[in-house]
Amino acid sequence: MRAARGIRALAGHAHLFERAGDEPRSLWTEALGDPPEVYRERILHSGERVLRRWDPSRSKFGAALTKGWAEPVPGDGERWLYLGASTGTTPSHLADLVGPAGRVYALERSVRPFARLHQLALRYPNLLPILADARRPMEYAGLVPPVDGIYVDVAQPDQVAIGLDNARLFLGSAGAFVIALKTASMGREREPRQHLAAAVAEMDAIELEPAVDLAPYHRRHFLLGGRPTRALFREPGGDGARRPTGPVNRAPRRS
Amino acid sequence: MAPRVVLRGGLRVYRVDPSGRIEASAALGDSPGAVARLLEADPPTPLPPDVARLFAPAPGAPMVVADPFLASHLPTGVPSAPAASIRELRDAREALPRPPPGPERAFLLALAAERIRRILQEPEEVLISLAREEERVERSLDREVAAAGHWLDAGSSPLTEYADEWQRFRERYAQHHDDLSARLETVARQVVPNLSDLVGPRVAARLVAAAGGKAALARMSGSRLQLLGARRRPSRGRGPRYGLLFRASRMADVPPERAGAYARSLAALSVIAARADITGRPLARELVGRRDRRIERLRRRRQ
Repeated sequence: MRAARGIRALAGHAHLFERAGDEPRSLWTEALGDPPEVYRERILHSGERVLRRWDPSRSKFGAALTKGWAEPVPGDGERWLYLGASTGTTPSHLADLVGPAGRVYALERSVRPFARLHQLALRYPNLLPILADARRPMEYAGLVPPVDGIYVDVAQPDQVAIGLDNARLFLGSAGAFVIALKTASMGREREPRQHLAAAVAEMDAIELEPAVDLAPYHRRHFLLGGRPTRALFREPGGDGARRPTGPVNRAPRRS
Repeated sequence: MAPRVVLRGGLRVYRVDPSGRIEASAALGDSPGAVARLLEADPPTPLPPDVARLFAPAPGAPMVVADPFLASHLPTGVPSAPAASIRELRDAREALPRPPPGPERAFLLALAAERIRRILQEPEEVLISLAREEERVERSLDREVAAAGHWLDAGSSPLTEYADEWQRFRERYAQHHDDLSARLETVARQVVPNLSDLVGPRVAARLVAAAGGKAALARMSGSRLQLLGARRRPSRGRGPRYGLLFRASRMADVPPERAGAYARSLAALSVIAARADITGRPLARELVGRRDRRIERLRRRRQ
């Protein structure tokens, strides 16, 4: 095993590293799982640490960090709620970031990806899998305590509303709210930038940081987030049992 | 006036009074595994008596039980409040203690395993799992067969020896595929009998798997079902005419230039069959009759 050179910690992060000289910058998180590999990513050994490459084209959060997203980012010892965890690629990196004292509550609705997430969680000490639908927060309110951050990656037309309902119920008042906005799931009748503007307007109770466009790693995606204002928790919110919306309008036929 | 709220927090159930103080609490079970089994029991089993007592109506304050699991266990006479707002629940949750990390993890892992087990053993999910596995095995078997030509030409003796060994492996693998198909067909005939009779059990199983369930399949339009599994994107003029349906039974009996027309009517019949499979009505004989008459017409029109 060769020792890695040029690895340095990012300022303000306990478990996030970059490697000098890489262009574009490459990010690495300190692996908590055993064995460390989760999705055939590269592994480095740096002193006592085992580091996992955070592949920006496999993870929207990873792409945003590569492109300069600064804040909010999960910190050491924090609890995060992850909506839309799928098989656990990005959740594993967030679990690395919160470290052994933190926790990631990873929610996934469909059973086959969830079975793989469960397998991962068995060897990831701070990744907690929950099979539930993010539209129905009342059903898992008894499983998730108040959290320091929520990350939303659900690919639904009403993804912002789903995220905000969860934030009203689970997010501590000093928490962080981050959403990977998948504009292709919000309808093709509007351009990605128009969807972004609509989402920003819908999140008026959050003090948003400037959005990051995730191209070229993920086209038509943005990362968006910030800290909640008190107004968020004054709103009554949904009744916790939102009905699914209809299908998304398809793109107009090309003739 | 703020309501009194009954809610779950990890392994316990709490009653929080209107001032936001925990009034009483009780354990759902004595171990993480026991609580997971209680939450997932199907049909629901009664709550432990200590927990049931938390619902005892108290004068002076309305009670809110927003948790769907607890609400489904309410004793008669206690009103549940499904319309409780997120805000009310948030305030009540502030009072709960943080769960200790060790038991919390054990509990959530046990609950996850229990839910996966319960869902994946439903006949419909078994059908989907088998259909995907059969498709995967068939693909890899096809690749092996396609490679056969390469080995059969091998002249020199070490390679011939290897080729024999590989041939035996391939036959065993083909046997495995046959066994898998037989199991798949049995399950398909149980889960979607009408559709199985109409298009053949293997195609029926693949249609259910591609749609993500038989309810999802039954909600589709014929034109959508016709293109399930089609690899090319539909476009004007030139596009796929059929996806999985291409391998439906009796497709070979139709003249190739009429295959598109046949796929269209077969798709319409398949949707009817899928809906009959939801309601449990035996409709297969009538649908098969319509299918066969349609094939006859398509063949006559050619001459």
